[in-house]
Amino acid sequence: MKMDHSLPLEYSTDQNKLNILGFWIFLGAEIMLFATLFASYFTLANRTGNGPTGAEIFEITPVLIETFLLLTSSFTIGLGIHAMRLGKQKAMLTFFSVTLLLGLAFLGVEIYEFVHYVHVGAGLQTSAFTSILLTTLGTHGAHVTLGLFWGLFIILQIKKRGLTPQTANKSFIFSLYWHFLDVVWIFIFSFIYLKGMM
Amino acid sequence: MKELFPAKQVLGFAFSILLTVVALAVIFLDMSFQMGMLILLVTAFVQAGVQLIVFMHAGETEDRPAIYTNIYYGVIIAIVTVLGTLLTMVWDM
Repeated sequence: MKMDHSLPLEYSTDQNKLNILGFWIFLGAEIMLFATLFASYFTLANRTGNGPTGAEIFEITPVLIETFLLLTSSFTIGLGIHAMRLGKQKAMLTFFSVTLLLGLAFLGVEIYEFVHYVHVGAGLQTSAFTSILLTTLGTHGAHVTLGLFWGLFIILQIKKRGLTPQTANKSFIFSLYWHFLDVVWIFIFSFIYLKGMM
Repeated sequence: MKELFPAKQVLGFAFSILLTVVALAVIFLDMSFQMGMLILLVTAFVQAGVQLIVFMHAGETEDRPAIYTNIYYGVIIAIVTVLGTLLTMVWDM
C-alpha cells in the first residue's frame, strides 16, 4: 500500500482520499435532501387547519439547550480530530465520547420536545404544518441517532485496533457527518424555530 | 493540555456562539419580518461557512477543487429548490 507521510493519517492512502471525497459527495446529496424538506416546510408552515401554529407550540428554552448541545458537540469532535492528528489516541477517544454524550443529551431534549408537542395536540396527523414540522425535525433526529451508533462503533474499533490509516479515515469521515448535522440544525434553528417565533 | 485546544477551533466555536446570540435578536428585539429574515440568512450561512472551513477542513488537500465544486453544486440545487418552491407555492408568482 502506498503511504504518503506528508499528509495526516486519514489522507495517507489513495483509497482514504477517495473515501473522503466520496463522503463529501454524499453530503452534497444530503444538502439537497434537507432542501426539499425545507421547501415543503415553507410551503406548509401556514396550513395549520384546526391545529396549533408554530408560534403557539415553540418554546425557546429547549431549543436553545439543543442548539448549544449540538454546537458544543461539533466543537468537541473537531478537537477529537485535532488530537487524532497529534497521535493522542486517549485524548481523541475522550473528545469522541464527550461528543456522543452531548449528542445523546440533544436527542433526549428532542424526544422530550416531541412528547410535549403530542401532549399539546400537535401530533403527526394534526395538520399539514405539524406533519411537515415533525418530519423535518425527525429526519434530522434520525440522522443524529444513526450518528450515535456509528460513533460508538468507531470508538470501539479504535480501542481494539488503535490509530491506523483505516480507523483514522473512518473517524475523520464520521466527524464530517457530525459537523454536517450541526450545519443542518443551524438552519432548523434559524428558519423553523426563530422564524416561527418572530 | 494546551496543544489539544488549537486557537483556530476555539475561536471558531466562540464565533459560532456569537452568531447564535445575534440570531436570537430577531425574537427579542422588535423588528420587521424582512429585517429579521435578513439577519437569520446572514448568521445561518456565515455559521455554515465557519463549520465548513474551520471544522471540516474543506480546503486542506489537493481534492479541494472537487470538494468545493460538489458543495457549491449541492447548495445551488438546494437554493433553486427552496426559492423555486417559494416562488410558485408561497409568493404566488
